[in-house]
Amino acid sequence: MSTSAAMRTAITGVAWAVAGPDFDPATALAGRGMRHKDRSSRFAVRVAHRALEDAGLLGAPELDGAAVVVSSNFGNLDPVCDSVSTIAAGCSRDVSPMRVPHLSSAVSAAWVAIEHGIHGPNLTLCNGTSSGLDAVAAARNLIAAGRATAALVIGVEPDTPSVARLHKETAGTRWIDGAVGLVIEPVQHAVSRGARIRAEIAGYGKAADERSAVQAAGGTAVRRRLDGEPTARFGRCSGALGVVQCAMAVERLGNEAVLAVAGGGSGESDGTSVAALVLTPPRGRDI
Amino acid sequence: MNTSNGDRRVVITGLGAISCLGTGVTAYWDGLLAGGGQPAEVPLPHLNMRTKKMYLVDRAEIPAQPSHYAGVELGSSPRLAVAAAEQALTDAGLEYGACDAIPVVLGAELGNADMQEIQRSSGRTAWTTLTPAAAVVGAGIGSRAALTSVGNACSASGYALTIALDMIRAGEATTVLVGGAEGITRAGMGAFNRLGAADPVRCRPFDRNRAGTMFGDGSAMIVLEADDHARRRGAEPYAELAGAAWSCDAHHPTAPDPSGDQIVRAMTAALADAKLSSSDVGCVIPHGTGTPLNDVVESQALRRMFGERIRELPLFSLKAMIGHTTGAAGAFACLTATLMLRHRKVPANSPIDQDPECGVWLPQEGPVLLDGPAVLVNTYAFGGNNTSFVVKDVAGEGSKWSR
Repeated sequence: MSTSAAMRTAITGVAWAVAGPDFDPATALAGRGMRHKDRSSRFAVRVAHRALEDAGLLGAPELDGAAVVVSSNFGNLDPVCDSVSTIAAGCSRDVSPMRVPHLSSAVSAAWVAIEHGIHGPNLTLCNGTSSGLDAVAAARNLIAAGRATAALVIGVEPDTPSVARLHKETAGTRWIDGAVGLVIEPVQHAVSRGARIRAEIAGYGKAADERSAVQAAGGTAVRRRLDGEPTARFGRCSGALGVVQCAMAVERLGNEAVLAVAGGGSGESDGTSVAALVLTPPRGRDI
Repeated sequence: MNTSNGDRRVVITGLGAISCLGTGVTAYWDGLLAGGGQPAEVPLPHLNMRTKKMYLVDRAEIPAQPSHYAGVELGSSPRLAVAAAEQALTDAGLEYGACDAIPVVLGAELGNADMQEIQRSSGRTAWTTLTPAAAVVGAGIGSRAALTSVGNACSASGYALTIALDMIRAGEATTVLVGGAEGITRAGMGAFNRLGAADPVRCRPFDRNRAGTMFGDGSAMIVLEADDHARRRGAEPYAELAGAAWSCDAHHPTAPDPSGDQIVRAMTAALADAKLSSSDVGCVIPHGTGTPLNDVVESQALRRMFGERIRELPLFSLKAMIGHTTGAAGAFACLTATLMLRHRKVPANSPIDQDPECGVWLPQEGPVLLDGPAVLVNTYAFGGNNTSFVVKDVAGEGSKWSR
């Protein structure tokens, strides 16, 4: 599967909400407005703010027509397990109504839209290992199809007791705890508002095998490749993998294109499908 | 809407369904004309909650296969999905073996929950994937193309239909199998009970005594195809999926935005995408769940869309007949819209004691003529996720409709 969108799209914002020198989950995920959100939504809301700030779009009128695309495979697992355990130990009357919205896998995307007044398409993908790259491609397609003026793409996977248990049962030893965000918009719009273009999305492909996916993305000749690095750095990234790959690629993008591959090769795989995405350096104002 | 290949028309060439009204599309349509299904108590233990009923598929009609996929034991939802998918592909004239390039896009909200709950009750707590339906259907029909599960809660299959529409318009695929499937989840029923959003009597949208929604299980599947592709292989389209649009309330995690601004925006954009005006709409299938605020807000939004004409524009309140099929609700509504256009008829609505705050027309005396070439469908969800789409007649365009 491949797409050849006529409209050029660019990454204009990149943000991280993963434990490190400039992000302490213990303080960043607490405080006002956080109490009734699950861990995944807290990460998503924080990274959304940072990504929009980085792109210069915080509170901008563009957000009225923008999309939110969240990729997460285990995002709301904890609230789901909590509720089931609560019901198992007692009855459904013991479940807090404040927790019920978190039983919906789309809850993090909803919180992001609510926090930032983003009224365009609101999409959640849970496509396994390829999900993050699929989300970037979905965002590009939403813009190319005229359904969104811009898109905020978030890859998020929380480390909660239920998620930890799931990883341990499937021979996992380390996994990411956090979110990564990207802002994607038409190149023309980015240029006209003077935004800094970090990379362009040149191609995307998805297939049952890696070779076909890379070919569909137009990435066969691309020499720089990013697949297993995020997993080596953070542990399993799962639904966040493709978004982490794009964020890492953007930060190191020189004059060469980068091919990101999720779900194949030496990296993480769920054995179902492989996604490939080609990012190219900004071409400047040549439109 | 400047879609990248917006001129490529997308038609519906195959339909499949299993619901409380029976197996197959004929049983479904006959069931709607006969007044719809009746709720029944869920035949499972540990239902310690006020509302214990659903609109259920006859348990004898739930296929036994496939019982497993990739090591995962399958509950009713993926099995219903495979059966409905096979119906839709057969209906479209697509044989097993011709489906390797057909992507599958499914709305899936509650997934394999019934099997997981049964396993948990028997003390088995090993993890299995929650939403295997798209993968199971892909394997079942022999697809080697992309398989997507859309998790946008109760508008998931409305979103899935739009994604499939865009895939065909963008040239990614010529044919896409799209739909939704849901089983039973006692945990989900418990959660809706706790939200005070579960009606203990029946699903009765727009009724003055409505007290929340009531779930239904089943699966609806639709084959979407590029019009030129369908013509070349001699397939006769049922209808056209002419336009669709999304918006987000960005207001509250569960409650709708009382202004209705974003649902009006989705309806307006869907009609614009279909290059139609509101006067082309002969019937609306509302989201209409039976939750008190949703039905009032949607009624007011419809009045803003259609003005005084809302008094004579028939609405078909589908959930009153098959329950709220959550992740499959958009697919069931698309199926229903297609059948209305086919038969040029709107079935009579289930009798209700209508809420005067819901100023819409729900004809209940008998079926009414579908007097317009398009049916508008709304699907909404937790998170304020809104989709509207337009199903349009393909036969005798321009001549047959009076308006």
